[in-house]
Amino acid sequence: MKKTTFLLLAVLVVFLGLASICTAEEGVTDTTIRIGQWGPQTGPAAPWGAVARGTGVLFQMINEEGGIHGRKIEYHMFDDAYNPAKTKAGVKELQEGIGIFGWASGVGTAPGLAVKDYLMQRKIPWVGPAAGSLHWISPPQKYLFAVYPLYYSEAKILCKYAIEKLGKKRIAIAYQNDDYGKNGVSGAEVELAKHGMKLVAKVPVELTDTDMKPHIMQLRKARADLVLLWVAPGHAVRIIGTGRAMRFTPQWMSTSTCSDFPLMMAISKGLWRGVITGSFAQLPDSTSPLMLKYKKAFEKYAAKGERWGVFFYAGIGFVEPMVEGLKRCGRNLTRERFVKEMEGIRNFKGIFGRIDYAPFDPNDPYCRQGQKELFLIQCEKGGKAKSLTGWMEPD
Amino acid sequence: MQTLVSGIAVGSSYALMGLAMVIIYKTSEVINFAQGEMALLSVFLTYMVLEYYHFPFYVAFPSALAFALLLGFFLEFAVLRRAKEPNVLGMIIITIGLEMILMGFVSWKFGAEPKTMRFPLSPYDSLSLGEIFVSSLEALTFVVALTLMAVLFLFLRYSKLGIAMKATQQNKMAARLMGIRTNRILMITWGISSLVGCTAGLLIAPTIMQPYMMWDPMLKGFAAAVLGGMTSLPGSVFGAYIIGVVENLFGGYVSIEFKSAVAFFIIVLVLCIKPSGLFARHYVKKV
Repeated sequence: MKKTTFLLLAVLVVFLGLASICTAEEGVTDTTIRIGQWGPQTGPAAPWGAVARGTGVLFQMINEEGGIHGRKIEYHMFDDAYNPAKTKAGVKELQEGIGIFGWASGVGTAPGLAVKDYLMQRKIPWVGPAAGSLHWISPPQKYLFAVYPLYYSEAKILCKYAIEKLGKKRIAIAYQNDDYGKNGVSGAEVELAKHGMKLVAKVPVELTDTDMKPHIMQLRKARADLVLLWVAPGHAVRIIGTGRAMRFTPQWMSTSTCSDFPLMMAISKGLWRGVITGSFAQLPDSTSPLMLKYKKAFEKYAAKGERWGVFFYAGIGFVEPMVEGLKRCGRNLTRERFVKEMEGIRNFKGIFGRIDYAPFDPNDPYCRQGQKELFLIQCEKGGKAKSLTGWMEPD
Repeated sequence: MQTLVSGIAVGSSYALMGLAMVIIYKTSEVINFAQGEMALLSVFLTYMVLEYYHFPFYVAFPSALAFALLLGFFLEFAVLRRAKEPNVLGMIIITIGLEMILMGFVSWKFGAEPKTMRFPLSPYDSLSLGEIFVSSLEALTFVVALTLMAVLFLFLRYSKLGIAMKATQQNKMAARLMGIRTNRILMITWGISSLVGCTAGLLIAPTIMQPYMMWDPMLKGFAAAVLGGMTSLPGSVFGAYIIGVVENLFGGYVSIEFKSAVAFFIIVLVLCIKPSGLFARHYVKKV
């Protein structure tokens, strides 16, 4: 009798154990959802580390408000120093060590590419990589939802404005010699070709370059009247500064990665004034209720010395769609359900532009590109931004 | 012509870092990979004194140089001298460790966001001769590099201390037997080298400051020193100018993409033909 009871109990335990394994999703418990993110907190790309810290503040705010359907977000952020090898090691360690439900944002094209296949093969959702690379959507991936507008589209919008509104005839580009810069070049070339024009100069900038005179000499030789700067903030400032020293002062345009105007004005000693860039988010001094709410959370949870800059609150904007997807899932949270709910997001408006996704179609890259629109801003005195356009989408 | 002038201008900051590396190498045969970060710490503290405490330049800059000197003394005395049975390789590894510690400290204390330092000259104002431009900061760096080279050259060749330094490098044991306090000589060497590096840092900081700002000048300075000869002060300076000019000529006329790499290619070539560098006398130690 005793033996039979023991056997029955053992079978019951095994059955219940198996049942719970079948129903529970990795990284989800009754009270928590585990979300991971990498971000450079050290190394040359560390200024963009603010993105991951911004996300942390949003999750703290959500947890304080009671979490999502009774589950608090357990946020696991690590420093990859913008080193793809470290990104991969860190993601694997967290994924296989504690189990992450999904990955939020993550700065950089190269670090993201290092883990893209790993995450997609395991069907792990990843929302809002903090880079506007074409790699995220071509080909589209079922579990990868891009938010950041494409650099390619941004270049098209900037060129269109330069030709149609500013009447520029000789457009050149100085670009970082990697995927980020080359996406800008291809967007510019396509848009200029539509207007029967060509780039008058394409000047590559290596990450290690510190002397910009050869670059300026090429731009000057090409007699460019407008130069697109598809480079990192430090290089953008060096190029404009060297241009000024060599009395070469065309209209400068740059990407949203250089749209943190207070920072750019400070490090360029005021030379950033007049530069036009794209912007994918509301401006830092926006008084929209959502921005004010996030700013309050920033004041409450952010570390001392943190700045309410574009990249800090971009860390919030990149994961807003993910939070929306999690909310739509209700208590029954699985990865498949999450993907389905994400696909249902239409006309979503947080602090970024409008975000739409569509059911997965391997032939439609844009089914996984959430934000397609951005607007143009110009840097004014004191680092203030003036809006030049409303939200625009490339043709 | 502009390419040549630009090459010389950019070579000046490499030259300063090259000088700093050569000074230490001349006495101890150690390549100091912490050179850039020693300068980095001094420069960020100068930034703090200028921006947070609003001290004037004439207080901040001499204080920075004095701090750099003391930092060099301290690191040699407190870290390198403590190494047990040191060999050159071990010392180099220690300098790499120091580099990481100093960089980590600066990143932690001052954050990663780029900054810029106030300076009496704007890095974006230029002097021009017709169509040839050189920024006033670069002109200053050029003058400072040549002056420091001359002063150090004369100091090492004619002063008692300079001769003691040379003796320490050539045969430490014999130098000690002759009554030279070699430990003190090494400490002074580190101090002077740190001071020269800090000068380079102060001239780079007005453009952009960030924790990684000294890495590239340090590498190029090292490359210049190897090219010119690790034991020759004028060699490191001229090596730096050669690198600056070649980079600019190559960038201007051949390929801007491989501009940085060409300097290292030339170094490999020179090392194959003349391993002690272009300007150094080949010195063979007697066994």
